[in-house]
Amino acid sequence: MPLDIVVCVKWVPNTQIVNIDPRTGTLIREGVPSIINPHDLNAVEFGLTLKDSYGGRLTAIAMSPPSAKAGLEFLIGMGVDRAILITDRVFAGADTLATSYVLAKAIERLMPTDLIIFGQETIDSSTAHICAQTASWLKLPYIYYVIDARLEDGKKNIVVKRVLERKIEVFELPLPCLMAIAMKSNVPRPVTLSNKIKAKMENLIEVWNNEMLKLNINCVGLKGSPTVVSKSIPTPVVPRKKLKFEGTDPIEAARWLLDRLAEEGVRVI
Amino acid sequence: MDPPSATKFDVAIVGAGPAGASAAYTLARKGFKVVVLERGRTPGSKNLFGGRVYSHPLELIFEGFKNEAPIERWTKREVLSFVTEEGIVSVEYASGSSTSFTAYLSKLSAWMASKAESAGAILVTDVRVDDILMENGKAVGIVSGGDRLYADVVVIAEGVNRLLCERRNITPQLSPEEVALGVKHVIRLGTDKINDRFGLDSNEGLAWFLIGKVTDYLPGGAFLYTNSTTVSLGIVVFLSHAMKKVKRHIYEVLEDLRTSPPFTRLLEGGSLVEYGSHLTPEAGLKMMPKKLYGDGFLIVGDAAGLLINLGYTVRGVDLAAFSGYLAAEAIEEAHSLGSYTSHNLSCYERKLNDSFVMKEMKRHDSVQKLMSKSHIFELYPQVLVGTTKRLFEFEEASPKLLEAAKESLKGKGSKFKMLLDAITLMRGP
Repeated sequence: MPLDIVVCVKWVPNTQIVNIDPRTGTLIREGVPSIINPHDLNAVEFGLTLKDSYGGRLTAIAMSPPSAKAGLEFLIGMGVDRAILITDRVFAGADTLATSYVLAKAIERLMPTDLIIFGQETIDSSTAHICAQTASWLKLPYIYYVIDARLEDGKKNIVVKRVLERKIEVFELPLPCLMAIAMKSNVPRPVTLSNKIKAKMENLIEVWNNEMLKLNINCVGLKGSPTVVSKSIPTPVVPRKKLKFEGTDPIEAARWLLDRLAEEGVRVI
Repeated sequence: MDPPSATKFDVAIVGAGPAGASAAYTLARKGFKVVVLERGRTPGSKNLFGGRVYSHPLELIFEGFKNEAPIERWTKREVLSFVTEEGIVSVEYASGSSTSFTAYLSKLSAWMASKAESAGAILVTDVRVDDILMENGKAVGIVSGGDRLYADVVVIAEGVNRLLCERRNITPQLSPEEVALGVKHVIRLGTDKINDRFGLDSNEGLAWFLIGKVTDYLPGGAFLYTNSTTVSLGIVVFLSHAMKKVKRHIYEVLEDLRTSPPFTRLLEGGSLVEYGSHLTPEAGLKMMPKKLYGDGFLIVGDAAGLLINLGYTVRGVDLAAFSGYLAAEAIEEAHSLGSYTSHNLSCYERKLNDSFVMKEMKRHDSVQKLMSKSHIFELYPQVLVGTTKRLFEFEEASPKLLEAAKESLKGKGSKFKMLLDAITLMRGP
């Protein structure tokens, strides 16, 4: 039974190399290259694996500035069949509520579809809201922390395993439904040359703007976002003491290190 | 293996550095269906060089080069310094005109690749080419992971570490004697500090080459180039020496340089924004593949060993770019002859030989050989600094020039040998 799957991804600044402005407490995004949210790659891999098993089609959607095209090309390089870039100035500054609203409206346009998948959370905000909120807009069931799925009963239901810390639970959900894939639960496949060439040569990325979606501008972007960042506390900078052990004996070195730690109030039991 | 990609290209180019991008741009403009395959995430991300490019060849290749290219500063001051424990002797040349500029190679390569893309070439980044696809002794495409990509002709622009050429026995494995190791810091100082400390205008650049103590007296040298807001400071030594003769890690040699006068003062308040290292071809004609072409393929750029080190200046980017340009012309010629046989592609070598590229490579080959000799990098600085010290640092009797020179030469080897070296440096063989 072929599956029509949609995967939602976010184009995020690579937070491994991003710094925080100590005055405003916001991310300094200038000059930081963006990437597809790494946890979303687990969702893409999950979708591709399902496609490998049952056949069908995998569509990626991202609500992002136009630069996300490079990220969507990367996903097509992995094996995604087509991508939709939702981009419009009126969508900028969105919190999770406004984002999930736009995504839900876009997904409605893609219906009928069998499965909508997400990464567990993003590396630049870690809310893990989007799957649940999108499901609420669509009035469809959803489940988080999924590590495995197989079709049951023809194409009506899907049996999923989800992991809650050390426990694995099994659920059966009716299709269509939404699921957030547990982060690091699989190894995203590398891009292949032929898929990358496909991404470059065939027009597989559609661009949707609000002229097309026609959403109420009070429900999207900054205007549609009730979230307020009231305060942000940056991690305090601990000045390095730059102490150096001068010697060669490892036992002495270990003892010296323990003494220094003790001075800092670290107890070794 | 997966079925081959449905798309077939006229030309597949491996590597989007200066050579590959120049070939791609030229071919795409001639109407060829070109794909460029780049290992890095972006074109240029695998490239590193000292900091200076000779402009003229690039102006011939790229339309609008001078106006559009990411040029940092036009080099209008050249300094060559001889350094010992005793001091520094420098020769300076300043001029109102300039034929070279400083740049970030990553930005320059990216610009070249974007020109190729606008001309119609397909650029694919983030892919590794594992092998040249050969059928009946003829290159017919490339292999990348489980993918095969067919093309009528393959341009190998894979850079100095020519794994594809080695794999296909086109070139022998590189030896550490044939390549140099460059290590470089990019230090942000800001335009004002650079202009003040180096005595420059905002559009003027400095190219500074130092030999002697800066590399522990080993062949090679140190360089400093001024960009708009940053300075590139680095050293180059033969890989073989870096491995065997330098008694410490090579980055410590650069670190010592950076923290010694006059650099401590010149770079004060700067912040390190980039740190990199790369190999460069150094063996001149000896490192060039016996043939730069074969059935269905051509070799360009660093992979072809095209780099000239004259001790006081290094050229690589312009040679690489121009070899890519000539490869494109050769492909056009072979195409008009009906096939990409070794015979039809041999015009590439002829074009290279007729161009400044091979003329320069041959003309300076003896200098390049000299560059591998240690005594130049020890004897010259010692004698020059020694003589100058005697000339200016005296207490009562001021010495005559010849006396000072004689004194500093004492026990430092044959004057005759030095004279021969000097002649070789000045006028070639």
